[in-house]
Amino acid sequence: MSVALAVRARNYVAFNRSRFLFQINMSKESQMRAAINQKLIEMGERERLKELLRAKLIECGWRDQVKALCKEVIKEKGLENVTVEDLVAGVTPKGRALVPDSVKKELLQRIKAFLSQHST
Amino acid sequence: SQPRTASHPDSDAGSVMSPAGCSHVNGFKVDNWKQNLRVIYQCFVWSGSVETRKRKAKSCVCHLCGAHLNRLHSCLHCVFFGCFSKKHIHDHAKNKRHNLAIDLLYGGIYCFVCQDYIYDKDMEQIAKEEQRKAWKLQEFCKTSGIGEKYSMWEPTKRELELLRHNPKRRKITANCTIGLRGLINLGNTCFMNCIVQALTHTPLLRDFFLSDRHKCEMQSSSCLVCEMSQLFQEFYSGHRSPHIPFRLLHLVWTHARHLAGYEQQDAHEFLIAALDVLHRHCKGDDNGKKANNPNHCSCIIDQIFTGGLQSDVTCQVCHGVSTTIDPFWDISLDLPGSSTPFWPLSPGSDGSVVNGDGHPSGATTLTDCLRRFTRPEHLGSSAKIKCSGCHSYQESTKQLTMKRLPIVACFHLKRFEHSAKLRRKITTYVSFPLELDMTPFMASSKESRMNGQYQQPVDSLNNENKYSLFAVVNHQGTLESGHYTTFIRQHKDQWFKCDDAIITKASIKDVLDSEGSTHKRTQ
Repeated sequence: MSVALAVRARNYVAFNRSRFLFQINMSKESQMRAAINQKLIEMGERERLKELLRAKLIECGWRDQVKALCKEVIKEKGLENVTVEDLVAGVTPKGRALVPDSVKKELLQRIKAFLSQHST
Repeated sequence: SQPRTASHPDSDAGSVMSPAGCSHVNGFKVDNWKQNLRVIYQCFVWSGSVETRKRKAKSCVCHLCGAHLNRLHSCLHCVFFGCFSKKHIHDHAKNKRHNLAIDLLYGGIYCFVCQDYIYDKDMEQIAKEEQRKAWKLQEFCKTSGIGEKYSMWEPTKRELELLRHNPKRRKITANCTIGLRGLINLGNTCFMNCIVQALTHTPLLRDFFLSDRHKCEMQSSSCLVCEMSQLFQEFYSGHRSPHIPFRLLHLVWTHARHLAGYEQQDAHEFLIAALDVLHRHCKGDDNGKKANNPNHCSCIIDQIFTGGLQSDVTCQVCHGVSTTIDPFWDISLDLPGSSTPFWPLSPGSDGSVVNGDGHPSGATTLTDCLRRFTRPEHLGSSAKIKCSGCHSYQESTKQLTMKRLPIVACFHLKRFEHSAKLRRKITTYVSFPLELDMTPFMASSKESRMNGQYQQPVDSLNNENKYSLFAVVNHQGTLESGHYTTFIRQHKDQWFKCDDAIITKASIKDVLDSEGSTHKRTQ
């Protein structure tokens, strides 16, 4: 085993111990969120939802709108200096607002359907 | 390996980005770094297998606050996960002097010294490969038939050269008219012109030809697909003068003799003949052997236009069903006013309204025609079918439904009646919508209805069976002397009327008020 891997294994054990401690402190809502997220990832549904969302956002033209917003930020900051953070900060609020309600509705319904099918 | 970006000095912030990344990755690229990086991608970014997914689900939370959102990043130097939005990973990087982290959602590598994402060639390569591997393991890969993850086009060296030597660029704006071009009438050739306009504005077909996807294997120069390719180049060249399609006409006369001559022909017949010749001339790899079996062809024509029509014949005595599926390129619909009765619909068919068309009461809709097309039809005592269950001739009912929908559906309203007694044109107005949902006419819908299942609410949001109108061909005049024109959709909501050499802007109302003998929709 290389040195790098040995270091990782040691830290992994330490991580597990500390994780147990803070999980008790999490609020009920964030616990539920974490549990749902875990289920979605385990069953591969998160990836499927991601692909579905991707297709919907392209279909409804959202991606083109966000692209245009990004171009504006780049023009403002200059191509040589702009960072990903500039784009994230400049585009996120508008981008979030531009997502059509129909897309949100459809994703929510998909998640609800999944959860009702796989409830424990 | 050689040290990268030797010419770029270390800097604290805002260093110039070179395509190779930054120099701060050099500390990471030691020993077995490639394999370690792959493990990180497989376990925490793109988890393809069940065990890696389980591990990702459990362990990918921020070590400081437990959140799984907030743009979670993993340190590349040790096992630490931290939120990006809450700067938890930033704190870790500063405290431990671990300069690199990876975005667990998209796999991007972040350098805390450069304070930006970096694009190291070697690391990008590994990322691409791991993403592709994980994609292949996903379930939707198998169910939706998508083998490879879509990756954007990147120019090759040769293409970069060509782009540099040819600096003129054509920009497609929201209002540009590229793709619109008139066609000269060469003597009653409007039947051909109207269909050519529809084909050159079929998005998938346009993309196929403009990316030079046809590899011709015909020896002679009479390949219709090559001519279509040339035609697309003419249409999208930006020239505004009308095009003279004499070569196309000549090829059509050569390959479809029944359409030759200077008299007016039927546009729908031309469409079918053209698709047939194009399909035959698309000699791809496996296409040569299977050219006679449209069900197994992989040519572009079949990929776009071919659907499957299911025919169920039910014996009235033993109720055994015999099913066949035939390929189709178009859906030919009978109209009210023809000599065969249109109303009432046969018992057992679904009489509920499926499209909120909002048309004036009494006007026939396209959906009415489709309902009639897919109704169970009693075949009568003079048309008994031999039933394999009863081993004798019995009366039966026949019903057509859609088994497999094409990407582009062509609806043909049978306005020309050629019966023994009369030849005439049926001018009954049939209203058609801009958006059409074919779900009620699917074979699967019929099965659900028969099993008493209600349609899941999620299905109605599913876009698979929904079509958008993009071309309408109209015939003005009588059977003896008439003229064809086409409405085509240029951008999302812009329509144009193509009347041989004359192209004019049209409103959606013009389109929907027209007779619509043939119209085409795309998914």
